[in-house]
Amino acid sequence: MNVENVEVKDLHFNYGKVKALDGVNLKLPGGAIGLLGPNGAGKSTLIKILLGFLTPDKGEGLVLGYDIKKQQSSIRRYVGYMPESDCLIPGMDAVSFTSYLGELSGMPRQEAMKRAHEVLFYVGLEESRYRNLETYSSGMKQRLKLAQAIVHDPKLIFLDEPTSGLDPRGRIEILDLIMDISSKKDIQVLISSHILSDIESVCSYVVILNKGELASQGKISDLKQINYSLYEIKAFENVERFIDGLRNIGCKVEQTTDKLIKVYLPPEKNPQDIISIAVEEKTQIRHFVKSQTSLEDIFAEVVGVD
Amino acid sequence: MSIKEKGYAHWDGKLKKMKFPWKPITRYGIKLTFKKKFFKFSFFLTLIPALIYLAGIYASEKIEDFSFLTRDTDTLSFLKVDPKYFSSYFTNEFLLFMIVLLMVFCGAGLISDDLKYNSLQLYFSRPIKKNDYFMGKAAVIAFFIFIVTLIPGIMFIIMKLIFSGSFRFLASFPWLFFSVIGYSIFITTFFAFYTLFISSINKNRRYVGIFIFGLYYFSEIIFGIFFGIFKSKYFALLSLKINLQQVGAGFFGQKPAYDIPWILSFFIIIMICIFAVIVLKRKIRSVEVVK
Repeated sequence: MNVENVEVKDLHFNYGKVKALDGVNLKLPGGAIGLLGPNGAGKSTLIKILLGFLTPDKGEGLVLGYDIKKQQSSIRRYVGYMPESDCLIPGMDAVSFTSYLGELSGMPRQEAMKRAHEVLFYVGLEESRYRNLETYSSGMKQRLKLAQAIVHDPKLIFLDEPTSGLDPRGRIEILDLIMDISSKKDIQVLISSHILSDIESVCSYVVILNKGELASQGKISDLKQINYSLYEIKAFENVERFIDGLRNIGCKVEQTTDKLIKVYLPPEKNPQDIISIAVEEKTQIRHFVKSQTSLEDIFAEVVGVD
Repeated sequence: MSIKEKGYAHWDGKLKKMKFPWKPITRYGIKLTFKKKFFKFSFFLTLIPALIYLAGIYASEKIEDFSFLTRDTDTLSFLKVDPKYFSSYFTNEFLLFMIVLLMVFCGAGLISDDLKYNSLQLYFSRPIKKNDYFMGKAAVIAFFIFIVTLIPGIMFIIMKLIFSGSFRFLASFPWLFFSVIGYSIFITTFFAFYTLFISSINKNRRYVGIFIFGLYYFSEIIFGIFFGIFKSKYFALLSLKINLQQVGAGFFGQKPAYDIPWILSFFIIIMICIFAVIVLKRKIRSVEVVK
């Protein structure tokens, strides 16, 4: 397994005056990697640059050891891409479609056809593989996109919003497939998604982009521990002053609709500081629990959701 | 144990660098065209002139057998197989009309469908370059036009040699073979660029079809209007059909229908092709980038 299949340095890309990527540096390890960020963070732009669809204004990068500026063809030969938007070729059935794209990747014709059947069975489209693609439901189209992305057995797969438009059952099934694919030690999967729970269930490593910049990256387990501690508090009396006090000592505070206060405590502070502020502000604390941090919490902390 | 239960399995083959990466695009393009409604029937109609001209070549060698049909053999002089005969086949109105109709069937959706169904990103996420994509699509058009131009043209020469039983025809017109190839390539190149250009400017295949047909005959109408008003033969250069016919006459060493140099028509067609290439290069992208 290559330790770094994807590596970019000081990557810049602008859409006119809008900065889509601003000095992104990345070194991604193997396995399943989540690419997170709010809308406009630069996730899709990054994937398109890694695929060679877009040429960066500045910076350099390697994908599977190939230069992203000069060796796009080689990158695309060994990379699978599942686009976010629906895409198909009208008039084709799933077998023709998948084998066709396999052939375009460089597979021999007969092999592409054989492999198309295999991957369509794998993604669960065996019953409808001879049906015209235009009659497919959203879930089937999503599976088909996954099938075409893996038909040529790529070493690296880019999945752009792989669960969008799926019902809960379909979502779980697609995530299971992604987990199964990424469990093969020599396949790396980069998943861009808005659904944090999807990323958390599939990926062990996460990259968070915000406003075109790298906001954070690392193993989810490390990010949960190192960056901060999360406490859930229920408080009465002088709650607003209590929250202001917490913010003054550098905590990020979030209040949920059921009056639960989430306190992101910086590493240099300890829980005793929270109690001290409550005493100062004469606030009653009726619930004080160290919470298990979820990816959502990390995301909120990094991207700056108050 | 089913494949699904076995989990993801690797493919044990090796991806190869293709010499002609556009070949699958062409093969599937042709396959999909034959699946279209009414295509087979219209394609058969396109072959009718070739069958008639082929019969003419046979009849030209058996002219005495057909003399009972007329009082003097001069009436059958149109059956004389010479460059004029070839020129009249390649530039006849019915053939050009059927080629345009063929373009509506086989060419209208070539790019517009890819734009409509977002499939360009699927092509360009493969080791396919823009030129491969164009080549693959253009080859679909070339396949169908060659069937009604190049192949019949060569067949006519071969059949003439077989029916006459000598090489005298080839010795008399040694350049004819190259004219057939040259004009077939010329007309195919024009229709490929013309069709792909129009196909790339709209996502709706129906509108593209109407436009392919409409623009071709609109140029004819414009010529008619201007010619009617100003009586200048140079307005013939506005008509796509006449330009193709003028160049056809030039290729086969015939006097063009309009007394203007056929090379002008040739340049006009080349300019249209260059314009189409510029538009295609701008329109075809793996992703939309608004800078």
